[in-house]
Amino acid sequence: MANPSFMNGVPELLILRTLAANEMYGYELVQAIGVRTNHAIKLGEGVVYPALHALESGGMLKSRRKLVNGRTRVYYAVTRKGEKHLAGLVQHWQHITDAIGLAIGGTAHAML
Amino acid sequence: MPCFDRLAERLLRAGIAPRHVRRYTRELNDHFDDLVREEITGGASRALAETRALSRLGSEDTLAAAMLERPELRSFMARFPWAVFGVGPIALLVLSFVGGLYLEFWLVNHSGWLFRGLLGMAPGPVAARLATRIYTVYNTLIVYGGPLLFAWLFTWMGTRQRMPQAWIITGVALVCVMGGFQNLVFYDTGCIGCGHLNLTSGLLPPFPNLSEGIARATANLAIVGGVWWLAARRKMASPIALHTART
Repeated sequence: MANPSFMNGVPELLILRTLAANEMYGYELVQAIGVRTNHAIKLGEGVVYPALHALESGGMLKSRRKLVNGRTRVYYAVTRKGEKHLAGLVQHWQHITDAIGLAIGGTAHAML
Repeated sequence: MPCFDRLAERLLRAGIAPRHVRRYTRELNDHFDDLVREEITGGASRALAETRALSRLGSEDTLAAAMLERPELRSFMARFPWAVFGVGPIALLVLSFVGGLYLEFWLVNHSGWLFRGLLGMAPGPVAARLATRIYTVYNTLIVYGGPLLFAWLFTWMGTRQRMPQAWIITGVALVCVMGGFQNLVFYDTGCIGCGHLNLTSGLLPPFPNLSEGIARATANLAIVGGVWWLAARRKMASPIALHTART
């Protein structure tokens, strides 16, 4: 999937959902998202970092440097504010996917 | 190893905060290394692994666009240059003089205690003379060194963010000119804990020491301009020297 308008908010949702389990650095996070989405969403892997920086600026993520195998990695973890934001995003996307599911299935009364 | 210098330059010129740019390029380099390692483990040659890693990371345009579409990553300076280079120099000068004045008030009021405790000197004419000398050095540093230090600070901050030179020159000129007209003097009255502390501004009526202020402002501008010219000349000379060495 690569339609920009449909991708709006998707990186944030995937990042927060994946980091909700445990802290990760960029490469690790991209791999985990790939596994989680069965590689259905293709993104330039580098574009995950601006999203991470923006989420951190908004207080949804916190970062810390950690020395792993002689290299300093920036690990990201979800904050309490991020958890609340994730809950809202999940609810919103659930609502949309339910509505689209109804539309595809031909059932009326989709509430958008 | 890819070089993200061009991407960094592009982001800085577009107003992305230097700390985000620095971290972004470092993370991209690390990510590239991880991708190369992954590709090599999967059986690719080094050259092929690097090509694939770069393609997976995204083109320079994609990487730049991802950062530029997030306005929250722009620096305060890029968003409000008038506040940093217009209001900033005035605010900084006022704060430094007021802060310096209050610190000196405190030092004068506690000089007896400080001299006894730190230097073991009893109050008297010798201690008073030494105190006056210390206050004079302190005032000289604030009055003469402050504007030059702030000029360097604005130059460093502006250059780091690749701000247009007009903004940097505005900030530096303001700090040099306005800083030249302020004066902070301590007059000894011969005893510890006494004396006159005088803060004047040549820019406010009745415009005391106006000619001295003009001379100091000119000197500040000349010093900063000279350093700037030397730095620019050195920067311009570097590639020529490299080129000459190669040929």
